[in-house]
Amino acid sequence: MSARVSTPKQYYRGLAPWLLLAPYIAVTCVFTLYPLANAAVLAFYQTNGPASRAFVGIDNFRFLLSDPVFYRALGNTTVFALCSVFIQLPLSLGLSLLLNSGNDRWKSFFRLVLFSPNLVGQIFVGILFGVLFTPRYGLINRFLQALTGWGLEQQWLGDPALVMPAIVLTALWVYVGFNMIYFLAALQSVDKSLEEAARIDGANRFQVFWNVTLPAMRHVVLFVVITSVIGSFQLFELPLALLPTSNGHGPDNAGLTVVGYLYDVGFNAGDLGLGSAVGWVVALIITVVSVLQLRLAGGGEDE
Amino acid sequence: MVERFPYGKAPFWLLTLALISSLLLVATRQRAAVDRPDISLATFAVQHYAAYKRVLPEFERLHHVKVGLQLVDARALQTRLQNAMLAHAAVPDVVEIGDGSIGYFTRGPLKDIGFLDLTDRIQEGGYRDRIVASRFSKWESRGRLFAVPHDVHPVMLVYRADLLEAAGLRAEDLDTWDAFAAAGRRVLKDLDGDGVTDRYMIDLPSGGGFGLTVLLLQRGVGLFSKTGEVTFNEPRTVDTIVWYLHQVRGAARIATECGWGQPLAKAMNDGVALFYIAPDWRTNLFQTDVPGLAGKLKIMPLPAWEKGGRRTSTWGGTGLAITKQSPHPELAWELAKFLYFTPSELSKRFASTGVLPPFRDAWQLPEFQAPSAFYSGQRLGAEFARLAPDTPPVWDSPYSATAESKLGEAYLRAAEHFDSHGDDGLREVIQRELGVAEAYVRRIIERNGLGGPRE
Amino acid sequence: MRLGPIHWLLLGFFGVFAALYARSPKNPRLALRFLRFGVLVGASTAVLAPFVWLVAAAFKDKAYLNEFVFFPPPSAWSSKTVNLDNFRTLFAGDATIQGTVYFWQYVLNSVFLATTTTLVQLVFCSAAGYALAKFEFRGKRALMTFMLVSMMIPGVLLFAPVYELMVTLHLVDTFTGLILPGIVTAYGAFLFRQACLAVPNEMLDAGRIDGCSELRIYFTLVMPLVRPMSAAFCLVTFLGAWNSFFGPSVFLHSQGQLTLPVILNRYIGVYTNQYGVFLAGTLLAIIPPAVLFFALEKEFISGLTSGSVKG
Repeated sequence: MSARVSTPKQYYRGLAPWLLLAPYIAVTCVFTLYPLANAAVLAFYQTNGPASRAFVGIDNFRFLLSDPVFYRALGNTTVFALCSVFIQLPLSLGLSLLLNSGNDRWKSFFRLVLFSPNLVGQIFVGILFGVLFTPRYGLINRFLQALTGWGLEQQWLGDPALVMPAIVLTALWVYVGFNMIYFLAALQSVDKSLEEAARIDGANRFQVFWNVTLPAMRHVVLFVVITSVIGSFQLFELPLALLPTSNGHGPDNAGLTVVGYLYDVGFNAGDLGLGSAVGWVVALIITVVSVLQLRLAGGGEDE
Repeated sequence: MVERFPYGKAPFWLLTLALISSLLLVATRQRAAVDRPDISLATFAVQHYAAYKRVLPEFERLHHVKVGLQLVDARALQTRLQNAMLAHAAVPDVVEIGDGSIGYFTRGPLKDIGFLDLTDRIQEGGYRDRIVASRFSKWESRGRLFAVPHDVHPVMLVYRADLLEAAGLRAEDLDTWDAFAAAGRRVLKDLDGDGVTDRYMIDLPSGGGFGLTVLLLQRGVGLFSKTGEVTFNEPRTVDTIVWYLHQVRGAARIATECGWGQPLAKAMNDGVALFYIAPDWRTNLFQTDVPGLAGKLKIMPLPAWEKGGRRTSTWGGTGLAITKQSPHPELAWELAKFLYFTPSELSKRFASTGVLPPFRDAWQLPEFQAPSAFYSGQRLGAEFARLAPDTPPVWDSPYSATAESKLGEAYLRAAEHFDSHGDDGLREVIQRELGVAEAYVRRIIERNGLGGPRE
Repeated sequence: MRLGPIHWLLLGFFGVFAALYARSPKNPRLALRFLRFGVLVGASTAVLAPFVWLVAAAFKDKAYLNEFVFFPPPSAWSSKTVNLDNFRTLFAGDATIQGTVYFWQYVLNSVFLATTTTLVQLVFCSAAGYALAKFEFRGKRALMTFMLVSMMIPGVLLFAPVYELMVTLHLVDTFTGLILPGIVTAYGAFLFRQACLAVPNEMLDAGRIDGCSELRIYFTLVMPLVRPMSAAFCLVTFLGAWNSFFGPSVFLHSQGQLTLPVILNRYIGVYTNQYGVFLAGTLLAIIPPAVLFFALEKEFISGLTSGSVKG
């Protein structure tokens, strides 16, 4: 629990906290609240950019909730979020375990190497991997062919079934090192004496990990899971860069994410009203998902 | 000193960098004395940019003005320009807009269109009859013209003549797509014995893409009609998709996807495909991308769908639009005429970009008749000019992107069915998917309550 | 399927592992360490491969980009296959309405934007975090809930209204317009709140007794104590601002103001594919964040960990 020393329930009387928070409040009012209010109103209109608008009531929401493309985007994003949590995080955790149980000379080196993809921006990563996924000549296909004798001509970014795996793979490359660092830190702060005690009691390595170490890392894991999921729902630049010819859609909308859908509707088609409606729905979904996660993790954990 | 900075090393270095960079920025800002041009022209294509840079000094001399030429990223041009126009922010006077984007700019009521209506100017200048008629379709909305067509882009096939000869085939025999497909099966080869075919007949995207669109247009099937009706759901589309699937998928396929840029160049050099769909702009790209194939490439018209049918299609296009906000519309129109309707300029540009202008007067000039050493002595200008009047019209709509996406989806569902069931029930699946696609686009159109184009 | 070097490598690896295991099956420490080392090396190779490819591609000639997987073998090394052409094109300069703009201008823009954004955010986020950590005041709970919820709003939603706002304020195409909406983020505020919670109250009380104003306490007592978190925050924010593509591409118009990601993206288009130039530019664009990271690695790691480990 946080080191909250005896907090008396009396409130601070001075202006100090408000002064310190003033920049945040000011900026939020102007650049978040006002546009949000705008977006709230806009959601009930159809617009042609900022120029013309027509009132349509709830038609935007009605269209949105019956649009198969939106559900495809939602599905894609959910799949990506699930892959993030159930593939990427275990990998990060595994790597951090491997790193933790070794001598320091190599540890620093591997930590550096595994984190380095994070230094590259998403747009660069997307285009870079777009080239690496080229059939016949790309690095990945060549590697697959050399390893398994299959896959040289495989169209990663042209096959609807393979687009999401390609995106997951790319995101994996970028983020596995990042989360690994969080887990490493958590591992290092686990009370060694607890682990020792468990081992003396006869538990094998796996049991020690599952019953002692992991629960001790609970807070960090929860933090990482929640931020991963929120981040996954905001996925946008990566598919956009990987699939430039279809504006981030991919074949059969296989690469479309909810934010991508929003951008498409709001900016490419120019209907800011529909875009606002989408934004609200997405924000709602993310909120619900996050609240669910917090509840599942055992109630009321403060950030 | 770093250690004494109480907030840490990172903030210290960042602060230093920030101070240095802001000083440098201020210094460079002063230096860039803004010599405001009288009129600004923006384009997104590197080839056009280079060509314009050469000819603009002439215009500047003639009219005693300074023209500011700018090269902008294509996608950014579209969104930024549209946002800027709608928000009445600063925009260039004259803009080159890309293929399909006129729909984008005309999605709202007529009053919102940020471009000048050029219909009357074209009519009064007598240009209407001197330009290939089918090209106006690309830049019209609700019967009004908003950009001057830059090109025709008739489509032919570029092929490796050396490999075709080695396979014992003649280009003259490939006059219908069925004959082409039959010949194609004789060309397939695995050159290095690794089980992967290394020689295909033609480069076509397996996901439909430009291959499907170009072939459909060749048959006269487009996404929209002049009045904005959805037109891709019809029997010819079904036939084309069935034929296309047989060529790009399955064990007996004769086509492969070679991509763009460097992968395409390598594929061409290796002879991965013999034939490549090539509008005039692509023939020029090949000269820069695969210089090693000089003398080995030739062009031929597209095989027809029926004997005696249309042997060309169209792919892409650029138009020149004048923004309503421009303070010098007349000067802008002079610039447009200079760039697009001056035969001498057009012929010089053809020599460097290979793009056939829609302005027929220019085609008589010698540059268009010149033989090309790269293409084994063939006269590209003459060949494309011969096919130009036959190019199909293309009507763009604000919903073109949606329609294209939906057509693509229908194609992919059909492809999935073909992959697992072959021809069994294929036509029904295609018809059904096309119906779904059409219904979706119709719904989007009907939703539009802003006075945009409607059926 | 032909057996290539990869297969021999894998076979060799498992062979060594089996041998080590067989030597002392009861206490397989050496074998396991070997295995661990191998897995880490494998992961590192997978992570580094795209980087090596990037470096190779930046120096390969345009025509040979796909000819060789990485670098050409020494026998094929010549100025035709490996050269600085890509960099030359990158540095050639673009003609714009404002005159010729060279590559270093874009670098300068990026540096300025990234450093300024980071510093501004550092100051304001830490202030907000400190307030949230050490003060109880009316409305705090509501404020924090609001901040939490605001983190879940997709940024793209606000783009259009903010753009309109910028146009009204005449801030489009300026750096101020880019920096202003992001000077404080809820994410940063929460990070610093975590870090500030660890600051001992006694020190703050002592400062107050001494007569320091709250602001002075913040600057002179609190900030130096959260130095690790500052370092971590600086790196993460700098990375984000340096690689930011969407904002600059929408808000900046004139060529001379563009940042690295936006300008490099221009080399990849439908009709022009100058991948080599783009990759060369990417290589250069990675250098500043890399330098920053390598120099501050220790501070960064400790900062990240101190913030997240606490419940």
